[in-house]
Amino acid sequence: MELLTAIAIGVLFAIGVFQLLRRNIIRSAIGLIILANAVNLFLLSTGAYVSIEPAYVSDTTDILSDALPQALILTAIVISMGGTAFVLSMLYIISARYKTSDMDEVDGLKN
Amino acid sequence: MVQSHLAFLPILIPLTGAMIALLLGRSRSLQAVWTLGTMLAALASSTWLLAVVWRSGQPVVFQSGGWAAPFGISVIGDLLAAVFVVMSQLVLATGVLYAIGSKDSVVRYPTFYPLYLMLATSLSGAILTGDLFNMYVFAELLVISGTVLTAASDDRYGTEAAYKYFYISLLASFFMLLAVGCLYVSYGTLNMADLARRIAADSGGQLLQPAIGFLMATFMVKSAVFPFHFWQPDFHTAAPTAVSAMLSSVVVKLGVYGFLRMTTLLFLPQAATIRSLLLALGVVGVVFGGLSAIGTHNAKRMLAYSTLAQVGFILVGIGWGTPLAIAAAIVFAFNHSLIKAGMLMLAGYVASRASVKSASFDVVTGLGRSIPAAGVLFFVGSLGLAGIPPTNGFISKMFLFRSGIDGAEFGSLALIGVGSILTLLYTMRAFQRIWWQDPPEGAKAKPVGDLLVAPFILIGLVLVLGLWAEPLVQVAADTSVWLGNPAGYIQAVMGG
Repeated sequence: MELLTAIAIGVLFAIGVFQLLRRNIIRSAIGLIILANAVNLFLLSTGAYVSIEPAYVSDTTDILSDALPQALILTAIVISMGGTAFVLSMLYIISARYKTSDMDEVDGLKN
Repeated sequence: MVQSHLAFLPILIPLTGAMIALLLGRSRSLQAVWTLGTMLAALASSTWLLAVVWRSGQPVVFQSGGWAAPFGISVIGDLLAAVFVVMSQLVLATGVLYAIGSKDSVVRYPTFYPLYLMLATSLSGAILTGDLFNMYVFAELLVISGTVLTAASDDRYGTEAAYKYFYISLLASFFMLLAVGCLYVSYGTLNMADLARRIAADSGGQLLQPAIGFLMATFMVKSAVFPFHFWQPDFHTAAPTAVSAMLSSVVVKLGVYGFLRMTTLLFLPQAATIRSLLLALGVVGVVFGGLSAIGTHNAKRMLAYSTLAQVGFILVGIGWGTPLAIAAAIVFAFNHSLIKAGMLMLAGYVASRASVKSASFDVVTGLGRSIPAAGVLFFVGSLGLAGIPPTNGFISKMFLFRSGIDGAEFGSLALIGVGSILTLLYTMRAFQRIWWQDPPEGAKAKPVGDLLVAPFILIGLVLVLGLWAEPLVQVAADTSVWLGNPAGYIQAVMGG
């Protein structure tokens, strides 16, 4: 299970980076979203394998799993959601202005 | 240890002020006055914090929610944090003054001042917090408020520049989250004092090396250090003047603060490696930034590239790493914030009187004839940037060079000496283009434009700190002594 998770997170990172480097700005924004999820899964895995017993459940004798990474992810998800929404809204303005989704044609800053 | 809410005030005051400023959105003048009052109160509270910390010789620690150190979030005002917060609030307060006197349409948006106050909140929060994840949250808030302010800029390409920056810094935030994950899985804590203690005790944590790499990348993007600088000139040129003066002076100092914390507290066993990397990047930044600034055709863009070079000087100081060099880096960071904010405001002031709103040399050539007062200020600022007496830039450069001679670092010293000469070249070229050359046929400065109050205060401070440098140098020297004693910091936070 640990190996499987590790491979899955690695593949997600690879897809995210690949999409990020595409010329199409919408694809690269999607790459950003995938990358955000890969990072969150990595954070989850830092607290996942101490024990699988959930924290804050009273009638258990096992070692409890660590709840802190989950709290961190909750914060990170909210922040990356806000960030993604903002990226998409800027993307909307830019693609409406240049009538293209090809990054090479968005060249206003070059002069 | 002094347990006090005082350490929390520089975060709380602008945060509360931003909430109330949102409610005042209908009346622009009331909102502006409220924002100025809030920033002055925040400046007063951070100066008070600095005074308390400096006089008592103890960090002021606030354990939020009453939870003891490794479990709760500690807010720690030690001397380094207090100096950086005073610097930020001072420059941010003058930024409000500039925005009030500005003719830009962006300052008339009802959310301009609340966002500006969020910028102040997040900057002081990221500096004062003692928790790595909390620092990530504040750093993200800083990025978002800065980007929104730029995206709404009067400049045509504000949105593109903001998109470019936001994209890069979202990636930097992912790096910081990865570093947080790596450190947590290796050491089981995110409190910086606790982390420092555990790393010093056992520097063989499995994911420690990747964590250092990720954190380095994060702070390099935040400070626009050489290979990660490409977003910075566009972003700082396109931002509204009041905001770009802040971005290019105090906001880039967050990365500098991070590097100081990394090399003097968090990663002591690896500090020598980090320092040698910072030294190399700093020297490259000084030369590259200076040459790029000479090659630009826009006064604001020139100053943005100049920030790249000036941050390079600070990194060289951190890279040398002797107590004297670290003190010099802190003095340099403080002085550069004042000079660069003042210079960018003057460039914006000139641009606001040009026929098209731009600081491009084609547009502003010869405009200075009718605004001689700004010329005097720009000249003094140029002297400061190049490090010529009687300005504070001279003090910081002299201090830095002396620490280099003491450390016998002659190779890097020669290179940053060349960088200093480049500074004089590009600032004087800009001065000559704007104030000496004849204006082209028919070009004339507009009679109305932004007000000169804020740059006047900043350049005044440049002169005052140049003639009366004793207190700042003394604080920096004491800070450097504190940074040489991480055990004291850890004990103050963790107790016992």
